[in-house]
Amino acid sequence: MDSLLAFFTEPLAHEFMQRALLMSVIIASVCSIFSCFLVLKGWSLMGDAVSHAVLPGLALAFVAGIPLAIGAFIAGLFCALATGYLKENSRVKEDAVMGIVFSGMFALGLVLITKIETDVHLLHVLFGNILGITQRDLIEAGIIALLCAVIMLVKRKDLMLYCFDPVHAGTIGLPVRLLHFGLLILLALTIVSALKAAGIILVVAMLIAPGAIGFLLARSFDHMLAIALAASLFSCISGTILSYHFDTATAPLIVVIQAFLFLLALLGTSLGTATRTIIKA
Amino acid sequence: MSKNSIQLENISVTYPNGHHALTGVTASIEAGSICGLVGVNGAGKSTLFKAIMGFVKPSTGRVTISGMAVKQALKQNLVCYVPQTEEVDWNFPVLVEDVVMMGRYGHMGFLRHPSKADHEAVTAALERTNMTEFRKRQIGELSGGQKKRVFVARALAQGGQIILLDEPFTGIDIKTEDALIILFRSLAAEGRLILVSTHNLGSVPSFCDDVMLINRTLLAHGPVETVFTQENLVKAFGGMLRHHQLVGADLHDDEDKRSITVLSDDERPLVFYGETGGQKITKHGNKE
Ligand SMILES: Nc1ncnc2c1ncn2[C@@H]1O[C@H](COP(=O)(O)OP(=O)(O)O)[C@@H](O)[C@H]1O
Ligand SMILES: [Mg+2]
Repeated sequence: MDSLLAFFTEPLAHEFMQRALLMSVIIASVCSIFSCFLVLKGWSLMGDAVSHAVLPGLALAFVAGIPLAIGAFIAGLFCALATGYLKENSRVKEDAVMGIVFSGMFALGLVLITKIETDVHLLHVLFGNILGITQRDLIEAGIIALLCAVIMLVKRKDLMLYCFDPVHAGTIGLPVRLLHFGLLILLALTIVSALKAAGIILVVAMLIAPGAIGFLLARSFDHMLAIALAASLFSCISGTILSYHFDTATAPLIVVIQAFLFLLALLGTSLGTATRTIIKA
Repeated sequence: MSKNSIQLENISVTYPNGHHALTGVTASIEAGSICGLVGVNGAGKSTLFKAIMGFVKPSTGRVTISGMAVKQALKQNLVCYVPQTEEVDWNFPVLVEDVVMMGRYGHMGFLRHPSKADHEAVTAALERTNMTEFRKRQIGELSGGQKKRVFVARALAQGGQIILLDEPFTGIDIKTEDALIILFRSLAAEGRLILVSTHNLGSVPSFCDDVMLINRTLLAHGPVETVFTQENLVKAFGGMLRHHQLVGADLHDDEDKRSITVLSDDERPLVFYGETGGQKITKHGNKE
């Protein structure tokens, strides 16, 4: 019993682990809430695009001497808006437009980072560095995440209705365009808040997996939110602690655990369906 | 308050990809009756609905709802919309009662916290559409007819005076269709404006007071008796219809010149019986 307790308390003796755990709770919460909307809206590719597109923003923000988060946010949002604009005004399909815009921006970011001397560490940007989180990172991410989480929870019914039936949302007088752009801004902000900890590549997983797990298991939206949040918190906390004991990279381990939970959920639901079919037959 | 109405003045809609879905539609639709919006697939029925609701912007023309601009009418929760089945994501994690409650959002405060009146409206709407026993079902767990009724219930809960129904009869059985028609009739009798799109010709005369025939533009509009003629329908549907005719000689042994014409797409056929007829005879091909 004591050793089990120590399994959890020992890592917390280190200040960097306290910060890492707090950070993982913060991003687990905000990412899982957003992931419900992302999955329901079918925006997985959009999440992928926006997260990759923040890279040139980071580099340019460093050159301009403004907070990296602001540069990342502007670049991410630019990608989403440019995709929407190009789709409306050309015959190319949305996924193709998006692919061009985000890979172009990502590549530009790589060029900038390898060319200019920045203190932006490429590996950390790509895969996160949750064990190297500073007090300041924590406060920054915490404020952005809290803001996003509150907005999403308070306005969850409007956002959910917008995902489900935008035409009906319009007919009852909801501001559909505002909801659309609001969701894009929330996406960019959520990504920015999780960037330091999870990195460009892995944040996408944190934005998709919890919602997908909730989608598989839930029959109503609030259940989906609760399941996504629980799955996300479980994997982020356990991933952080396990990575300490086994000395592995943290964010990747979290993503592996989430993928494992998703498989379990998938297996559980298809087994459930199979048994129901057998019983019926 | 004046009677509810929809005024369409020279409405044209062009989609961003350059497709001219509608050109120059001018019409006036009044409350207290059921108006059928009839046209083939791709004729622009859904597009016209979306233009009325301000969801697509007309490139020319203007929509006026009960004397107001569209935006203002929507703010007053005047317009209810029942979407086409294909436009709904049936895997979405919402229960039947959640969907019906969505009809009430426009009546709720900032947090969309339902009041007692909202719950009562939902219960009443579920009862009126015979959906009470399914209220805890996830929407994907319903039959075709039940799926339609959920969204009709949402419109009832919303309580708007103008109800737009996009193909409510597609993919449902005759029993549900008849039940819905009775419901629409009583809604119209209560003074609402009911606009129903359909490509199902056979049931139109049995429940519509007026029809609008469209095929990328308005071909004809007026009372069923005068507008819903064989000539107009052939114009609206072109070669899309199965056209079966039995002329006098096949029906009667006497000199009677009357013939039977059966027009059908794939559902309830439409039957004309009279002297205006062609010559061709074909076998009956309808399902019923
Ligand atoms: N969002 C869209 N973008 C481009 N074309 C569209 C869009 N929606 C519908 N269309 C086209 O407009 C025409 C009319 O469509 P619609 O109004 O859905 O017809 P109906 O409801 O009568 O079957 C069709 O040819 C369809 O392909
Ligand atoms: Mg349609």
